[in-house]
Amino acid sequence: MAMDDLVTRAMDLAAVKGAAYSDVRLVETNQERFVVRTGVVDTLSNDESQGIGVRVLVNGSWGFASTNILSPDEVDRITSLAVEIAQAAAQSSNGPVSLGPPVTSRGVYTTPIQIDPFSVSSEYKLRLLLEADRRMGSVKGISARTGNLIFIKEHKTFANSEGAQVEQTIYEAGGGIMATARGGGEVQRRSYPQSMRQQGCAGWEFVAAMDLAGNAERTATEAVALLSADHCPSGVTTLIVGASQLGLQVHESCGHAIELDRVLGSEAAYAGTSFLTTDKLNNFQYGSEQINITADSVRLPGLGSYGWDDEGVPAQSTPVVQNGRFVGYLTSRETATGLSLPSNGSMRASSWNRIPLIRMNNVSLEPGGWKLDDLIADTDDGILMEMNRSWSIDDRRFNFQFGTEVGYEIKKGKLGKLLRNCTYTGITPEFWNACDAVCNEDSWTMWGIPNCGKGQPGQIGHTGHGAAPARFRNVQVGVMK
Amino acid sequence: MIGRESALALLDRALGYSKAQETDIYFSAQDLGLSRFAGGAIHQNVAHNDIVLNIRSVAGKRLGRATTNDLSDTGVQKAVESAHRNALLMPEDPAFGGLPEPSGPARVDSWDEATARCSPESRARIVRGVCLQGKEHDLNVSGACRTGVLEIAVVSSRGVRAYHAGTFAGLIINTMSGTSAGWAKGGSWRLSDLDTEVLGREAVSKAVDGQNPVAIEPGRYPVVLDTYAVDDILEALSLYGMGAQAVQEGRSWMNDFVGVESAQGVQAMSPSVTIWDDGSASHGWPVPFDAEGVPRKRVDIIIEGVVNTPVHNSYTAGKEGTVSTGHQAYFTGGPIASNLFMQEGDSSLEQLIGSTERGLYVTRFFYTRMAHTKGCVMTGMTRDGTFMIENGQITHPVKDLRFTQSYVEALAGVEHVGRESKLILNEVGFATRVPALKLSSFNFTGVTV
Repeated sequence: MAMDDLVTRAMDLAAVKGAAYSDVRLVETNQERFVVRTGVVDTLSNDESQGIGVRVLVNGSWGFASTNILSPDEVDRITSLAVEIAQAAAQSSNGPVSLGPPVTSRGVYTTPIQIDPFSVSSEYKLRLLLEADRRMGSVKGISARTGNLIFIKEHKTFANSEGAQVEQTIYEAGGGIMATARGGGEVQRRSYPQSMRQQGCAGWEFVAAMDLAGNAERTATEAVALLSADHCPSGVTTLIVGASQLGLQVHESCGHAIELDRVLGSEAAYAGTSFLTTDKLNNFQYGSEQINITADSVRLPGLGSYGWDDEGVPAQSTPVVQNGRFVGYLTSRETATGLSLPSNGSMRASSWNRIPLIRMNNVSLEPGGWKLDDLIADTDDGILMEMNRSWSIDDRRFNFQFGTEVGYEIKKGKLGKLLRNCTYTGITPEFWNACDAVCNEDSWTMWGIPNCGKGQPGQIGHTGHGAAPARFRNVQVGVMK
Repeated sequence: MIGRESALALLDRALGYSKAQETDIYFSAQDLGLSRFAGGAIHQNVAHNDIVLNIRSVAGKRLGRATTNDLSDTGVQKAVESAHRNALLMPEDPAFGGLPEPSGPARVDSWDEATARCSPESRARIVRGVCLQGKEHDLNVSGACRTGVLEIAVVSSRGVRAYHAGTFAGLIINTMSGTSAGWAKGGSWRLSDLDTEVLGREAVSKAVDGQNPVAIEPGRYPVVLDTYAVDDILEALSLYGMGAQAVQEGRSWMNDFVGVESAQGVQAMSPSVTIWDDGSASHGWPVPFDAEGVPRKRVDIIIEGVVNTPVHNSYTAGKEGTVSTGHQAYFTGGPIASNLFMQEGDSSLEQLIGSTERGLYVTRFFYTRMAHTKGCVMTGMTRDGTFMIENGQITHPVKDLRFTQSYVEALAGVEHVGRESKLILNEVGFATRVPALKLSSFNFTGVTV
């Protein structure tokens, strides 16, 4: 039986069994992974996964079931199971789910790429990683080094009982290196292009442009230098947050906080809720006037770029913070309807065997007007911190603490001493309201975060975050002791 | 669930496609049912089953990998060939000593028919009961109830042939008032082990007692940590350093205590701290063998506060001329201690609190991450119930605090250990059985709004 026929079969059976709405996702994912650890190829793996997930609304409640067996009998079984599950959920319901206007999207989307990453040989990819590893290893004092590459091709068919039918092929490419130095009772690390790896919806060209080997020696040298660097001082100071670290700051303190399912309590037992309650929409000064944040699923190579979300809603761009004022959420059909808004297409599932949840797409801090050199020159006394090392935030997204791989003292407008074990902490709206400068697009980068956890059962989301360095006043730093 | 015969037949069929010098295949299958609730009602209700074949192919000192869940002849053959092709592309790894030898049957009983057969209606009944408990106190109740079956099997060209099927059940309850929250979590391989009413009462009482919390100044306080917080400590110590790969690469907190001849036997933690890993213990979450088919041995990791040894897979063991302890928890990555136990003491929770003149009772940590390798310095938040202790009594709830604290140093300050332990079963197959602890000092570095 053709794959499209399985999709139709599931929706037909769901309707017969009483589903007022159904949608079906048929997903096939191919992934290549390469990991090199200190001169040894740790992993060279090709991973394939396929399956089908059926979501139904019966008696106003959701049911979902999925399987990796793509046969008519199995599709019948999971469709019936999804209906049974929805009927059970309806016994413990707060009222029927409303999805708002029907979604009838049709079309085909493929991530625009220059070079298919699967067309580049595994030998070449391994040589690239091994050369970067060799160059890191040439630096005296390095105790461990890692490098990784990942390439993903996901082919997804979505259809719903309202008439939507879309087909997408999403490509992702990513890579990164890390050097660890140990000595004098200290352990330090440096990564490139960012912690773990940089990843985007892109082709091979995205990884080629990183020049991992060309940056390997510098990365390792910085790790060794950190062993004898001064400790980050403790106190309240002016902080310039580098672009990569600021991307994660946006992710944790804005991206999660604007997920409307969190706001409404759906994630309370696991990841928590959000301080951006619905009364604050269009009525809350989230940050200073310098702060403009956009959520979009169209800005490549952002890792949250696609043609339609997993409810068939078209990709789009949504203002979240305008001149510091909070103006928008990430929404699903169900949550948006509750606020009398249209969905902005933010529902994604990590796999065929997971239901879609509201996930960040590309939540980005828009560029400001400063050149980075000018911003440093304009800073009399402070610290520049860059590249994430640790991250933590409370369950309402208020109190955060980040650690960075590296810091530099700023004295009289110039970068000074290297600093190690840098940390900063704050309360989200206080922090963003203390921002008085954002750098321009010269230093703006779309960062990819491929490890965003949410949901039960757990889902790993892939999100994008554009950011440029920005300056914050009166920030508590040096919270290690 | 496909059962022993079908699983082994599938693996034999896959092995038959291999032209490699050596091959092993790790079969991992899960049937999961999960009912998630919020606002007192089920809002996400799901089921899935998946079977994944994880294939390793050997060519001399080279190891290639592939995974697939396409179980057709074509799909399986393609994955087996892909693993072999990947092996041939790899450079030699002199430290690779080949696939593990068979080491006898490893069996534990962790199958419960009632848990395996738990229906969506049964889970919904549990949810309704818990939500009613919260409703009686005007609390918003959310959480998740899950049941399911895990099957694993390993077959290799060296003769490894192992299969295990176990069940699992878990219930998480979060309760919220306008100013407070409570939490409870139960897990076991038997659904009947979960006293859902007791768990509901636990979550409710924390939210009721925690209303109108008071902000206190950050700083160092003696603490009584309930089991969920202790679970977080063990999980972090495991993930950030109880595996031999981290130790061999010099990025483990253990590096200050093992592998350095002069430091062996150094007292890292209080003598009342003893921690071990045991995948065969039925009062944990037993899984008899690892992803390489090696039986999970009991490993004494911390003995009376002295660091003894990390856990190994076959690769890390081979590098040190020893044998695997059976801790290759997943298909890739290093060895992980994932069935941890902490030795109980002789104090009741009331005695732990009663021994504290002025300190904090912390029921749970949240969003903890490593801030520095050395000493396993972690930062995170308290959540869902934090209380002030004065003169041996809980006096009032406090607003959640951020901490930045070395977990090794924290366990060096253990003054008393609870006499009862609780099994904490995490979603990803990581389990601890831990008691509550009284620590002399814990470093709180911030307070939330």
